[in-house]
Amino acid sequence: MSASRPAIEAAGLGRDYGSTRALESLDLLVARGALVGLLGPNGAGKTTTMLLLATLLRPSRGTARVFGHDLVADRSAIRRCLGLVFQEPCIDGLLTVEENLLFAARLAELPKRDALKAVDDALERTRLVERASQLGRQLSGGWRRLADIARATVHRPALLILDEPTVGLDPEHRDRMWTLLDDERRARGTTIVFSTHYLTEAEACDYVVLLARGALVADGNPAALKATVGNDVAEIEGPDAARLLESARGAGAVRTVVRTERGYRIGMSGPREPLTALAAALPGVSRFAFRPPTLEDVYFERTGRDV
Amino acid sequence: MRVVTPVYGIVARDLGRSLRQKGRLFGGLARSFMWLLLVGTGYNAITRIEGAASYQAFVYPGIVVMAALFGAMLTAISTVYDREFGMLRLMLACPAGTMAVLTGRALSATLVGIVQGGAVLLCGPLLLDLTAGQLAAAAAVLAVAAASSSLLGLLVAAPLRSVENFAAVVNVVLFPLLFVSGALYPTARMPLWLRGAARLNPVTYQVDLMRVALGLPGELGVVPSLLTLAVTSLVVFGLTAWLFDPEHRFIRRGAP
Repeated sequence: MSASRPAIEAAGLGRDYGSTRALESLDLLVARGALVGLLGPNGAGKTTTMLLLATLLRPSRGTARVFGHDLVADRSAIRRCLGLVFQEPCIDGLLTVEENLLFAARLAELPKRDALKAVDDALERTRLVERASQLGRQLSGGWRRLADIARATVHRPALLILDEPTVGLDPEHRDRMWTLLDDERRARGTTIVFSTHYLTEAEACDYVVLLARGALVADGNPAALKATVGNDVAEIEGPDAARLLESARGAGAVRTVVRTERGYRIGMSGPREPLTALAAALPGVSRFAFRPPTLEDVYFERTGRDV
Repeated sequence: MRVVTPVYGIVARDLGRSLRQKGRLFGGLARSFMWLLLVGTGYNAITRIEGAASYQAFVYPGIVVMAALFGAMLTAISTVYDREFGMLRLMLACPAGTMAVLTGRALSATLVGIVQGGAVLLCGPLLLDLTAGQLAAAAAVLAVAAASSSLLGLLVAAPLRSVENFAAVVNVVLFPLLFVSGALYPTARMPLWLRGAARLNPVTYQVDLMRVALGLPGELGVVPSLLTLAVTSLVVFGLTAWLFDPEHRFIRRGAP
């Protein structure tokens, strides 16, 4: 593997299920060691993308390489570099934590001595040593997920693919999980691609890919994506919200508009004062506040959905 | 060879799981002995099979095969649990691929079938006058039968999506395979249509081989039975590998 090659290169990658186009034509370039977030509504193509990169599906069109290995021709080589975390933790309830990790090490083709050492390292790294002899079914949800991360990283893969890894986790375990993954990136330059519905998790990404209905609708680093929304986001609510919006449009300050249940979120460019003055003049505006743009604003604006 | 390690890992995992499901192991053994002792004793009183000292003696080879059949198939069918809880997808994503996963599952199911059938086989001397050579031949047939049944179990598991179908599988697949196999009554006495079904059933050949190994008259011949089992096992393995390919599962099911 050349150290300079990207972790993932995809060109026109697409996948159909019969007549359904689950993924249209994805171009992707992921640098080694990057943290990449895959965002999008349900059915956007996130899981399909991850299954393609995990070599569990063959593409219907396009090409892709993972660490220089072809997605179709070199599947075994890609799988040796890969650690997978699915939405449900893959921890066998009838085996102990240690046995689960040993199973994963063997699946990764680690010879016996290396496998035993890798299991010990994984238990240390994830602070699961005290729980090593517990059966999987005896673990709480948070510890099952941490055991799952230990399982996926036992063979120190160069690429980790995680499908909604924080679903159902309390804040403590979610924080611990992200710390573990961050340690993998810092210590070993592991590339991480994950999907999430918690958009705040994607704020720390180097690169975000937003999919909707099988198509790429936005990609880039979070700061650049948020800048497309505007300098500020004005949240306006009340009977006069629509009037305020029209006035703002007339003033040429509006970059993006997302409808909410009670009003609008307006992505603004330019100074705040003119809109503030307009809002003050309308008695039917019950809420008016500025805040910085977030990835959630990008999500709703690009996917064409209302909040 | 790199593929040995993941195959060994799958076998170790499956056997570890089986040892922790003692209820299932004992249930399998109890089932066989219930058939032999309760059903066999009852039929002893009302029927005689030509060439056998008693009905129990006649049915004994079939019960050994039944123990292996249920043990191997149910272990293989537990693949459905792995599918439902994501473990199967994890295994299929390993570098060694689908063939290694299926080989590992088939091996572990075969071993469970051998253990369960072997427990019944050890009681053989209580019913039949057996030589060491016959016991050894029966043990070899047991291994063949368990391997064949494990592959059948994987084939049955391939299209199943949920563990809720488990009970249906036992009633609709396992029992008919047993009933139409000559295990409980000779195939020569079946009506023509049922005899035809028996000839298409791999378990029929397993039972017949076991009868011959234990010194009882067979109906089908050793070489034809071995050839039939070899060919059906190869075909079943190939078909199962095709069905287990994640590509085909997703095509059949639709987008994830």
